[in-house]
Amino acid sequence: MNAPASSAGLHVADLKVEYYTDDGIVKAVDGIDFAIRPGVRMGFVGESGSGKTTTALALMGMIESPGKVTSGVARLDGLDLLSLSDAAFEQHRLATVSYIPQGAMNSLNPVARIEAQILEGFRDHGAPLARADAQRRVASLLEQVGLPPAVGRMFPHELSGGMKQRACIAIAIALRPKLLIADEPTSALDVITQRRVMETLGRVQDDIGSALILIGHDMGLMAQFVDEMVVMRDGKVVEHGDVRTIFANPSHPYTRTLIESVPSLERRSKPSRATTNGGQAATNGMPLLSFDGVSKAYGQVEALRPLSFTLAGDMPCVVAIVGQSGSGKTTLGSLVLGFETATNGRVTYSGDDVNRMGRAAVNRFRREVQAVFQDPYASYNPFYKIDHVLTVPLKNFGMASSREEALDHMIRACESVGLDPAQTIHRYAHQMSGGQRQRLMVGRAIMVKPRLLVADEPVSMVDASLRSTILGNLETMKTELGISVLYITHDLATAYEIADYILVLHKGSVVEAGVPETVIDDPQHPYTRLLVDSIPWPDPNRHWGAGGSLDEETQSVAEADVTQPLVRNEIEGFRLA
Amino acid sequence: MNKPENVSHPTPDTGTKPATATRDALVSDWGTSSRRLRTVLLYLKRNPNLTVGLVLLAALAAVSLGGQLVLEPKFADPLANRPKLPPSWEHPLGTDSQGRSMLGVLIYGTFLTAKVGVIAGLIGVAIGAVLGFMAGFFRGWVDVVISTITDVLLTIPPLLVLVVVAANLATKLDTNQMALIIALLAWREPTRQIRSQVLIMREAGYLKTARLGGTSMMGIVFKELMPNLIPYLMASFVLAMATAMLASVGLEALGLGPQNEPTLGMSVYWAMFYGALLLGMWWWVLTPVLALVVLFVGLYLVSAGLDELANPRLRRRRQ
Repeated sequence: MNAPASSAGLHVADLKVEYYTDDGIVKAVDGIDFAIRPGVRMGFVGESGSGKTTTALALMGMIESPGKVTSGVARLDGLDLLSLSDAAFEQHRLATVSYIPQGAMNSLNPVARIEAQILEGFRDHGAPLARADAQRRVASLLEQVGLPPAVGRMFPHELSGGMKQRACIAIAIALRPKLLIADEPTSALDVITQRRVMETLGRVQDDIGSALILIGHDMGLMAQFVDEMVVMRDGKVVEHGDVRTIFANPSHPYTRTLIESVPSLERRSKPSRATTNGGQAATNGMPLLSFDGVSKAYGQVEALRPLSFTLAGDMPCVVAIVGQSGSGKTTLGSLVLGFETATNGRVTYSGDDVNRMGRAAVNRFRREVQAVFQDPYASYNPFYKIDHVLTVPLKNFGMASSREEALDHMIRACESVGLDPAQTIHRYAHQMSGGQRQRLMVGRAIMVKPRLLVADEPVSMVDASLRSTILGNLETMKTELGISVLYITHDLATAYEIADYILVLHKGSVVEAGVPETVIDDPQHPYTRLLVDSIPWPDPNRHWGAGGSLDEETQSVAEADVTQPLVRNEIEGFRLA
Repeated sequence: MNKPENVSHPTPDTGTKPATATRDALVSDWGTSSRRLRTVLLYLKRNPNLTVGLVLLAALAAVSLGGQLVLEPKFADPLANRPKLPPSWEHPLGTDSQGRSMLGVLIYGTFLTAKVGVIAGLIGVAIGAVLGFMAGFFRGWVDVVISTITDVLLTIPPLLVLVVVAANLATKLDTNQMALIIALLAWREPTRQIRSQVLIMREAGYLKTARLGGTSMMGIVFKELMPNLIPYLMASFVLAMATAMLASVGLEALGLGPQNEPTLGMSVYWAMFYGALLLGMWWWVLTPVLALVVLFVGLYLVSAGLDELANPRLRRRRQ
């Protein structure tokens, strides 16, 4: 199957990449064919290990030993990429095929100015520019990616994550390549920044008219951005076609699983509060948790403005606290857990001030309030095996009186989140995947059986397919164990899926609150509207920016009032004062 | 390759016990001491540096400590034997020109030199660990005071101080005093190393996990932080010990060591002083030098092996 040598765009036929390891040959990419015309955006989707990044590396001539391209043709405007020598490929990297890396924060040189890093490409490709010309090119490139010219004189640490990613785009397009490869360019960014970066990327691609490959596992982002899609699994293409066709009618079951793993408005399983087993109220008739004019300042920076609410606990509910990084949501979580002390006001747990508890009250508080944190990699003490996170609470809270009893608890904790105990408790944390670790953290919380759980971005670092599993666990905790959950997230879509009540936090203040149907289906505050508009819905027909352009929306957020929250409805068990 | 991990309906059941048979078959030896011993042995097999280093040091210790049971200390003293004897059955390592048995020097000298290293290293690491831990854990003015003093003292070349102190005491010096003099400056590097480690560890996410598990402040320091510090403490100790022994051998080779004790460094000094090689008495030079080489190579290998232990990510996987 030979691709026509003369036709424009990228033509790949029968590409195979194999890795020679001690355990045998791994077919990372196993005979794939596809073609991209100039100006078209192609999405590569699949789990980690499916071969999507290896495909991109092959097109960049960057497969390293023990890997090897064993067969195939890849022609870009007639140029046979796979037959180029290493030295010849250097002439084409950046100039013909260009790459936008995953972690912009790690791929920029920390000691060089942005302009120097942009100009490096011109220098390496035999076109050193005169000083004035160079300045002009840098300014126009920065303008293309929506950055002010002053950024050229800055160092990477002076830029935000989104700005760094856009600087990476400027570097990648400097030589007007024919093919752009973007490898999960927004994976560490919040939805608004993600939307900004992706809109920038789309615009510059239109400007230079190159073909574009977007690698990712977020089906929502794919639906918003690409024209065609390739779904990969175990090195093979399982589905390939127009993005609308695939979303409307996925033919492969794997594609269907991927699409369904994205939270979506249509598929919301309304948590049935009526079926819960009754709540875990504080025994003394006091509300489980209450904030009384609580604020927190770090020096001059106000992380959280005065906030008051009560969570009764007798009617378990999931309260989502939604906001971007810097909105104060994690500070709020730390205040609840007693890891931070409020600057003003009081955080009380069943009547006791969280920071002024006696010994007995602290013990009870620790047992009854648990948390799952964002980073499953940092949550385990590397010195101990996995079982340590389970044995510590068992011992400290006196939950087991013998080795057998402790073991029973641990086995149930593993099984409650679908982990095999025999494959789990003898291992070290670094021998498990991030998803497995995070599930065990949830299992640990289930084992301790708290009354209140603080879940701080529990799914932002795990694969999409695991998200719904973990969110399902949280919901089970509410409905079957009667645990109230504070769900802290930047992701409105997941909040919509599991929350009973949503607080939208912006710059330390609650700007809008209500049940998900009100807040998300009919957002009133401009900031909520911006957040909702920036959700990458897994639906090619529902586009970003339905509520106007990003700049207009940001402008109206800046002008909006943040002092008085818009509260439209209340639920039983939670009251915002 | 990762399969999508699907668990549709997790059931956090509370009452039922898992089947005993399953439990026993899968995880029967969890938490038992035989399991722990097996883990240690398997680990040593995967870390040849540590194993070989420990074997070298153990062999030297066996010779030195075992030898003390058979050979009396006076054999290492001058005039105890006929001088200038080459190795023979009666004197396996020969004797020097003043009648010391070199086997006696090997047995008692190695012990004395190692003792200087252990005493100075232990004092240095103990002081350094406490200071470094306080500086890193409490921050604030405690950190400022400790760090400033450490940083200033780090600029002083240790040999300068040691030569001055030792030269004033030279004739009356014994090995214990020697160790104390060296310990005067041996805590500076451990302080810096431990402080930087504690600075990193105090922000670790697992401390939050431990607090949620009801661990007290003391528990966090001793059960969560300290175990992670142990490899660094051990590596610091090995390093401090090697540095201290190097300093003692250096001082002794300059003739500033204890005149009346047969340490390895003093033997090297006497061998140079009396021109052992010119007299063709190779055994006089070779014995202390070989002992020193085994000692330092052993310490180096242990230190390299501990490096790997300190970072579990580098720990080799089970075959």
